[in-house]
Amino acid sequence: MALEGVRILDFTRLGFGAQATLICGCLGADVIRVESTTRPDPIRVMPPYVPETGERGEAFGNATLANATGAASPNRGGIFYKYNTGGKRSITVDARHPKGLSLLKDLLAVSDVVTESFAAGTLERWGLGYEEQKAVKADVVYVSMCGFGHSGPDTRHVTMGPTAQALTGLTFLVGLPDRPPAGWSFSYLDHVGGYLGAVAVLAGLSHRARTGEGQHLDVSQLEPATALTGALLLDALVNGRPSRRPGFPPGNRRPTSAPGGAYRAAGEDRWVVVSCRTEDHWRRLVEVMGSPPWAAEPRFATFAERRAHADELDALLEQYTVQFDRYELMERLQAAGVPAGAVQDAADRLERDPQLQARGHYTTMANAEVPALPLEGLPVHLSATAAHTGGLLHRAPPLLGEDTDAVLRDLLALSDDDIARLRAEEVLR
Amino acid sequence: MTAAPAPLDGVRVVELVDESAEYCGRLLAGLGADVVKVEPPEGAPSRTLEPFVDDEPGPDRSLAFWADNVGKRSVVVDDDEALRPLVAAADVFVHTLRASEARRRGLDADSLLGAHPGLVACAVTPFGQSGPWADYEADDLVLMALGGSMAACGYGPVADGGYDTPPLACYGDQAWRTASTYAAIAVMAALFWRDGGGTGQFVDVSVHECSASMTEWHLMTYLCSGQIHRRAPHPTLTAADGRDVAALNPDFLGPHVFANTLAMLEKEDVAGPLSDPAFADPAHRARNYAEVWRAMKRLAAKHDGETLYRLGQSAGLPWGVIRAPEEVADDEHLRARGHFVALDHPELGRTVTYPGAPFVAHGSPWRMTRRPPLLGEHTAEVAAEWGVSLADPTR
Repeated sequence: MALEGVRILDFTRLGFGAQATLICGCLGADVIRVESTTRPDPIRVMPPYVPETGERGEAFGNATLANATGAASPNRGGIFYKYNTGGKRSITVDARHPKGLSLLKDLLAVSDVVTESFAAGTLERWGLGYEEQKAVKADVVYVSMCGFGHSGPDTRHVTMGPTAQALTGLTFLVGLPDRPPAGWSFSYLDHVGGYLGAVAVLAGLSHRARTGEGQHLDVSQLEPATALTGALLLDALVNGRPSRRPGFPPGNRRPTSAPGGAYRAAGEDRWVVVSCRTEDHWRRLVEVMGSPPWAAEPRFATFAERRAHADELDALLEQYTVQFDRYELMERLQAAGVPAGAVQDAADRLERDPQLQARGHYTTMANAEVPALPLEGLPVHLSATAAHTGGLLHRAPPLLGEDTDAVLRDLLALSDDDIARLRAEEVLR
Repeated sequence: MTAAPAPLDGVRVVELVDESAEYCGRLLAGLGADVVKVEPPEGAPSRTLEPFVDDEPGPDRSLAFWADNVGKRSVVVDDDEALRPLVAAADVFVHTLRASEARRRGLDADSLLGAHPGLVACAVTPFGQSGPWADYEADDLVLMALGGSMAACGYGPVADGGYDTPPLACYGDQAWRTASTYAAIAVMAALFWRDGGGTGQFVDVSVHECSASMTEWHLMTYLCSGQIHRRAPHPTLTAADGRDVAALNPDFLGPHVFANTLAMLEKEDVAGPLSDPAFADPAHRARNYAEVWRAMKRLAAKHDGETLYRLGQSAGLPWGVIRAPEEVADDEHLRARGHFVALDHPELGRTVTYPGAPFVAHGSPWRMTRRPPLLGEHTAEVAAEWGVSLADPTR
């Protein structure tokens, strides 16, 4: 595997940080999650809970989440299983115990990378900041992943995905014209921030391979997002045309398609996207529809005309699409070469999407406490160094502390007696 | 003083891509790679995308092109025969050809790697190189729909519980950008492995799979509870100046969250009934969440959006004022981190500010010194530097 031989001492929690190390794990890195039984990763104990076979757990709740303390086990939090594939191992060590800190330094000495997603200054308080890391491992690649990063006037600000999405313009860009933004229903920037965290790990490793030198790479949840808005920032700065203007954002309309958007299909709240980018796409769409007279009217004769009359065009097209099942229409349009796709939810992706199935997108894995779950794989396929959802060891996300003994034994050559003594001294908790 | 070496210094990348994968090369260029964009004589399709400088179309005036091609060089070639020597001299070849077209043009993985075993070849296509949908047509909007992002994004239901508005995709081609980012990750991993004693290889990136990898907890919610996440409003406060603030209240992180919030609300004189000790109990708060929200709204009515955002943050709440993309350029925090980079466009007599490094790398700073290339600007230069013979159709 591409990152085989790379060891990451991983202090990340929640989504943003863990997304980065799951990618590294799927690519073959040995990711050792350093966890705590007294302060477990919140996503280990938050709903939705992975049910025992045959039962259904409690769904992710409303804005308060005050009922989220009910998990009996730190191994049932469903979101943990989204973000901790990649064969990550879990050890529990109390970093605030002097012997715990000492163990972590011993592990650092045999690792290549340190990743963490605490507030800035946390590792320094433990005595494990970058300077201390360097004293143990001079060429360590240290990747911090903190909402606002480790420098700048607002360093103490905290983020979750929706915070960063609001601040960087991405929330603003999900919405219909002249209405308040609708925003995202999930933490897009937990994903994107994590992707750039993985890029930072790889950049640090590549740089180290060339120069022999380590470094601190300071990843925030804001900077990975600023280039995602494409030309809009430039349009404002170069042309003086702000995005905050009447009629913008344009919902699902794009300058590159007409017609283009989500159209009602048969059934309750079922939709199909159609996006005609070329004259050919439009001509074929008209043919599939049986060449209705309205489609031949001059107001729809050219791309520019169709764009100018998009409201009328969308209404007429929807009268057609609403007659069909979304998948049936997708297939019919695709057979004719028209870009189209069903609006799929999570269940559709899992149960109805033949392409994801054919590509082996899901890998079913279980650990000692949860039943076999279909887990999403790394969406890139490398011909010589295939990634695996279960990492190098092809295993499911770890139970809390599952690997403490094995890691201390195998990497630090501690004896069973040593480990028992450390456990009795509450170092391994 | 020489600049610190970049992670991909000396790595030669050739890209033959449509607008779906240009963001990959932008990232690789920032990491120090020499990214050569191969274009036909009329220019890459993205050069025709609006908006344009002063709204005047032209191959060197598309801001959409600028956004995703900053840092690259441009080489014009007439045909695939002219392309081959460039690929032969490269470490990485990124393209957006379907399997069938790549085979027809002799640019498929077997042909490329057979001739150049050290090459990292990467195809970014809507559905990947295999599977029943491999030849389907899709743009970003279609891929946001199939991937699952759209289904749960949009406005909430109306009075009867139905929806009078469609699911929505974020503007800005997010499925394409996600796939481009994954392509960059895979290319970097493949280079790392190759340079550590491995070989070249082929990387097959399906935008659909990348798009389907988002949506955070939606799949787990379905697996755990059988419930489908549907479109719903998000906690948003409207400030006195009309600006909206995303106002998350992550009570689940621990009792300190409410304690700090209450202290801030009391200081602002809007806590009202929340000062009742009964609210210290999370279950009581959950049952009476409307009171919590009413106090937040009283706070919002007193302040403008920027102040409201900062008040929430002062209490440790992950609040954020909802900005338009251009408003990000005024952020003092990002400016202090040196995020924005001004590049000269001498032929236009302008200096243009671009968003820069996606992270602060203290040992290997982001490389962003080249403005986006004019069409064919570097054909002769690259031919000379790379030692390849290229007919120059434009100069």
